[in-house]
Amino acid sequence: MKFECGDLEQALRTPELMPEAREHLRFCAECRREYQLWLQISSTARSLHEEWETPELWGRIRSTIEAGIQPAPPVWKRWPVLAIAAAILLALIATPLLWQRAHTPASHAQPGANGDDDFLTEQALAEVEKNEAAYRQSIDKLSRLAEAKLKKPASPYVANEQEKLLAIDSAIDETRANVKLNRFNVHLQTTLADLYREKQQTLEELLSREQKN
Amino acid sequence: MPLRFPGALPEHPTEAQLADECRRGNLRAFEMLYQQHASRMKSLAFRMLGSRADAEDAVQEAFLKVHKAVRGFEGQSSLATWVYRILLNCCYDALRRRERLAETAPARDFPAPGKLPLKLALERALAMLNDRQRIVFLMFEVEGLKHSEIAAILEVPEGTCRSWLFEAKSQLKRILTETAR
Ligand SMILES: [Zn+2]
Repeated sequence: MKFECGDLEQALRTPELMPEAREHLRFCAECRREYQLWLQISSTARSLHEEWETPELWGRIRSTIEAGIQPAPPVWKRWPVLAIAAAILLALIATPLLWQRAHTPASHAQPGANGDDDFLTEQALAEVEKNEAAYRQSIDKLSRLAEAKLKKPASPYVANEQEKLLAIDSAIDETRANVKLNRFNVHLQTTLADLYREKQQTLEELLSREQKN
Repeated sequence: MPLRFPGALPEHPTEAQLADECRRGNLRAFEMLYQQHASRMKSLAFRMLGSRADAEDAVQEAFLKVHKAVRGFEGQSSLATWVYRILLNCCYDALRRRERLAETAPARDFPAPGKLPLKLALERALAMLNDRQRIVFLMFEVEGLKHSEIAAILEVPEGTCRSWLFEAKSQLKRILTETAR
């Protein structure tokens, strides 16, 4: 086989063809330039490794991890406690209503009501799920807005709020996973609604503070 | 996950020991994992996202995800492979968020002037590659990962990885030749 300029590409892929390619390179300046460029791409690529100091990055990661693990005092000021307290309060309000409905005569009972005061009816659930989807959409919109507006580097306040949002998101994920397993459970649905509300408030506060600054 | 303070972690733990300690929530083990990979992870994220601040955010997000999910990590791949895979996902998520926000091109922290022109030309040419070509090129040629490692991270056969790298370099050569004319 006679090695031609067009064969260089194939030779670069197939080491066995390289002896012939090298022979060709001795006489062909154009291929020689291409081959040099091929080698330079690799050698220059190494200089694209970007190195810079980030002494605070591990600390940031560590404190976010710790904030997610350790209950920091004062305990009544922590958002999960607020959310749980609100959930309990709402459940206390909702339970007698559901109990009443569950204990009305069967002919008046909603389809799906089984007398268990912890469970939503099919119809109520459809309503809850519809509201949840709409709520999620509007919060996602708010999140995107906040994300675009937040300045970098984040102030300690913003960083703190971002950590809080991260924790809320993970609680939402966890609660949603539980809801999927137990869709009719009113306590889970209430907790989820509360977490959304908490997220919304946090985002709104964050946005209004950023606008003022 | 319960919080554990520096415990019985050898000075140079094996990957299995490190993975075990991370699974137990030992923060010192996480810190070691961070020390081992952060520099490369930051650089990779920087090349994907175009800004140092975004790269740091991606690395932070990746480590938080690793911490959250490490108890479920069963060691089908190496811990490092898994960490890089999570980082890439964080970068892709960031790029998608950016797309959704319809942002213009990110403010790129281009290197200081005085560097080789080929370096700048290569940076620009890299932006013209498709995702798989770019990521394989960055991991192999820029960050020095092995084909076997990249293949494990991307969950593709090693041959595929080699072939994507070849495609990437051919494409770069073509772009650089054309722009030089
Ligand atoms: Zn030739």
